[in-house]
Amino acid sequence: MDQVRSFCIIAHIDHGKSTLADRLIQHCGAVEEREFRDQILDSMDIERERGITIKSNTVTLDYTARDAKTYKLNLIDTPGHVDFSHEVRRSLMSCEGALLLVDASQGVEAQTVANLYLALEHDLEMVPVINKIDLPAADVERVKEEIEEDLGLDANESVLCSAKTGEGIEDVLEAIVERLPPPTGDPDGPLQALIFDAQYDPYRGAVLLVRVMEGTLRPGQSIQLMHTNKKYNVEEVGLLKIRKMATEGLAAGMVGYVIAGVKAVSDIAIGDTITDAEAPAPDPLPGYKEAKPVVFSSIYPMSTDEYQDLTKALEKLKLNDAALTYEKDSSAALGFGFRCGFLGLLHLEVVQERLRREYDLSLILSAPSVRYKVYLTDGQELWVDNPSLYPDRGSIEGAEEPFIKAAVMMPERYVGPVMELCRERRGENTTFSYLAVGRVELTSEMPLAEVLFDFYDRLKSVTQGYGSFDYEMLDYRPTDLVKVDILVNGEPVDALSQLVHTEKARARALHYCERLADTIPKQQFKIAIQGAVGGDIIARKTINAYRKDVTAKCYGGDITRKRKLLEKQKKGKKRMKMVGSVEIPQSAFVAVLKTDRD
Amino acid sequence: MTQSDPDPVPDPDPESGTETDSAFNAGLYVHVPFCTSVCPYCDFAVTIAGEERRSAWVDGIIREAALYPDLSLGFDTVYLGGGTPSSLDAEQIGRILDELHRHLAVDQRAVCSLEVNPEDVDPRSVSTWRDFGISYVSLGVQSFDDRDLALLGRRHSVDDARQAAEILCSAGFDTVSVDLIYGLEGRSPEHWRRQLETAVALGVDHLSCYQLTAHEGTLFGRRVARGAVTELGEGELAELFFLTHELLADAGYDGYEVSNFASTAEHRSDHNQKYWDHTPYLGLGPSAHSFVGGRRWWNHRKLRHWQAAIDAGDAAVEDEERPSGAQLALEALMLGFRTTAGIDLERLHERFGVGLLGTNGDVVDRWVTSGHLKTDGARLRPTLTGLAIADTLARSFEIGWTPTESGSLP
Repeated sequence: MDQVRSFCIIAHIDHGKSTLADRLIQHCGAVEEREFRDQILDSMDIERERGITIKSNTVTLDYTARDAKTYKLNLIDTPGHVDFSHEVRRSLMSCEGALLLVDASQGVEAQTVANLYLALEHDLEMVPVINKIDLPAADVERVKEEIEEDLGLDANESVLCSAKTGEGIEDVLEAIVERLPPPTGDPDGPLQALIFDAQYDPYRGAVLLVRVMEGTLRPGQSIQLMHTNKKYNVEEVGLLKIRKMATEGLAAGMVGYVIAGVKAVSDIAIGDTITDAEAPAPDPLPGYKEAKPVVFSSIYPMSTDEYQDLTKALEKLKLNDAALTYEKDSSAALGFGFRCGFLGLLHLEVVQERLRREYDLSLILSAPSVRYKVYLTDGQELWVDNPSLYPDRGSIEGAEEPFIKAAVMMPERYVGPVMELCRERRGENTTFSYLAVGRVELTSEMPLAEVLFDFYDRLKSVTQGYGSFDYEMLDYRPTDLVKVDILVNGEPVDALSQLVHTEKARARALHYCERLADTIPKQQFKIAIQGAVGGDIIARKTINAYRKDVTAKCYGGDITRKRKLLEKQKKGKKRMKMVGSVEIPQSAFVAVLKTDRD
Repeated sequence: MTQSDPDPVPDPDPESGTETDSAFNAGLYVHVPFCTSVCPYCDFAVTIAGEERRSAWVDGIIREAALYPDLSLGFDTVYLGGGTPSSLDAEQIGRILDELHRHLAVDQRAVCSLEVNPEDVDPRSVSTWRDFGISYVSLGVQSFDDRDLALLGRRHSVDDARQAAEILCSAGFDTVSVDLIYGLEGRSPEHWRRQLETAVALGVDHLSCYQLTAHEGTLFGRRVARGAVTELGEGELAELFFLTHELLADAGYDGYEVSNFASTAEHRSDHNQKYWDHTPYLGLGPSAHSFVGGRRWWNHRKLRHWQAAIDAGDAAVEDEERPSGAQLALEALMLGFRTTAGIDLERLHERFGVGLLGTNGDVVDRWVTSGHLKTDGARLRPTLTGLAIADTLARSFEIGWTPTESGSLP
């Protein structure tokens, strides 16, 4: 156990986390050169493209140190986004230490700070690593200063490296061995293993990634999951090399995988504790929290004949994404679809992207909504996240909406505009504090719903890209909610209905009306587009009448060609929806409903 | 099909035989690919050629007509289009018409139409055309504004056009038609109104008013593509379209098709109407299309390729298709909604076995309610606003055939 180290890498986006991981893996010879590819731990295309890690990945490396001993280094990759902070926490729980990676030219960034705090909360030993020292713009001295000032760490302990050129990689590995503590725990104690992630394997079912804290996991063992109380039989345990490598057991301190006849990732709860069913531990490990969806959106296939494909794709996605929830939904305008729950907007985007790329589906997503708590006059309480299920106004006593604690970190000069933005977004108790000279953290209690509608974009714009944003859920607070309907020539378009705060109703309705007016083609009669709350029209746009859609000439030679064109257009017409007598192209829904982050 | 296919005529369709065998109702088209200059907006198969190629082409047309000795079609219209048919020598036109009568079943009373350019019109040429039996002339005026004519690359002047129209109108043709083009950049609706008024004042029997269209592969198309010329927007074009129909209706012309207007029903183009209701037609010459017995084929577009095939004794057919029942029905809608005659619902039912009101009653209702279609006995007719979006109307119907099922057509 003395020769085991478990660590993660904490970094701001772009500071080179994946490249450093790549280099550590290569240095330890865990993968043949010819098999190597960049960002080897990021298995999804989206992760590679956006340079973010969504699904954490883990690898065990064999490193022969300068002391001639061979160590097992468990590199636990962590997702890098606020939506996935519960996953970050679980990953951190599996480590004893962390490399805090800082870009030698960019310096300490807001996200670095936020993640450091998370790591410190888990009592991890920190090793600052200054990366990209090969860059002409590298300013190691300034970065060291920031590490001291902003992070409160001893900069003299920083390891310098360039993950790109490989310079200093061995120093990083030595620092891991020398400065991070080995795990503790008794291999003969009562079994406690933390499930920190799970992967879906089409042949084996769910592969649980675990950190064994106490005791030993062995094949043939009868195990119990302490939160869900489900029992399984261990079929196989092993180490997570780049490929799985079965072993005879996983003892306290080790990180590895367990295959135990679990069918789908959704069958188990990440964060649960595995114990021996015959000789259970008295308590589960601390820190278990159910991943609850907070953002909801309905997903419809562009073309109704893709509904079956969407159903299958969601089933498959769900196998590997425990946080995704979905149930059948239908819309008069868009047909059958699914109401889905997500951990946040990024999670929503990731699911959308994966459906698009991995399953080749074209989709329309309804405007994201939070889940409201609605009190009815008859004393009932309802949870509503779907505007179409919002009860009649007369039967509503009151409503509550989820609030978050938003934290924005930025250079001092943007405090004014960001406070203004928070005020616009109904932020309460907005305060700020200096993290360091010139750097400010602003916190504000604001409705989650306000963040779903172009908040990131506005924040980026008012801080010229320097602001970074994180949030945590706070509580539910009373709100004054209305349902805004969008009407086209008097007919409501159900897919465009939204629940919004009264103050925002008019602006939101107008925004939708304008976008619709821009995207619905003229159709030879006036089209009134209205936003309404109950019977009151609160916004209006009109599309004026005339249009021409007929070619000037059509004689003998034109007929075949023209028919082929029409046939092609007819295929496209499958993507038209009728609302009353108005043809609305699917593209209009996409344009209207797209979040401004796309 | 291959060029050497000796018999482009398919087996007679038992269900359609009655309509085609005996009656003289088919159209005969001859494509004259020659122009003295090529207009920048034109996407027809045209070329500038000397006397040698022209006379080879005349021989070719006659040889091509002789390739169809067993065609079970009788023709009651002959249409010489182009290109610039009037640029042919009068004798060449006469020889072609004679030979067509010799090789094919052309009715003695068939309406013979000729497209003419103003610069080719003089009292002598006109009287020769009359002598050869041309009864319908279509004059390519395009505009009564010299700046427009320059922009359109036309070789005639406004004076030429007026003079030509006057000569034609007094020469005793059954029908004199004038072609105009609208939608030039930078011209006001008022400007277009004056063009129409000028044509009306000339007292022509028929007008064809075409929206200037930037076709790919034309000089004009390339100008638009590189931003040298801007096409008018949808709204402006719609305004001009409605202006055209309204003004000409007020002047007594019936806009019986999207771009065609006749002072009385007799002056409609009988030949062109065949294209719009699936009447059979045979096309001779490069790029010409034919539609017989539910089969459609088309000739090589380039004069050189067409000529080579014909000179080798082959049909100059480039390709063919046999549209499925669903495809023909889509064509019937697409073509039918272009004309105020609209769709003959009974005929559609007879030919394709589909009652449109039964299968697409909701679509019909919707367009009737919105004022784009009206039912008139057994016909479904577009209104003027419907005519303007004929393609949208055609696309809106769901006709659920399997693609293999074929319809029966003459």
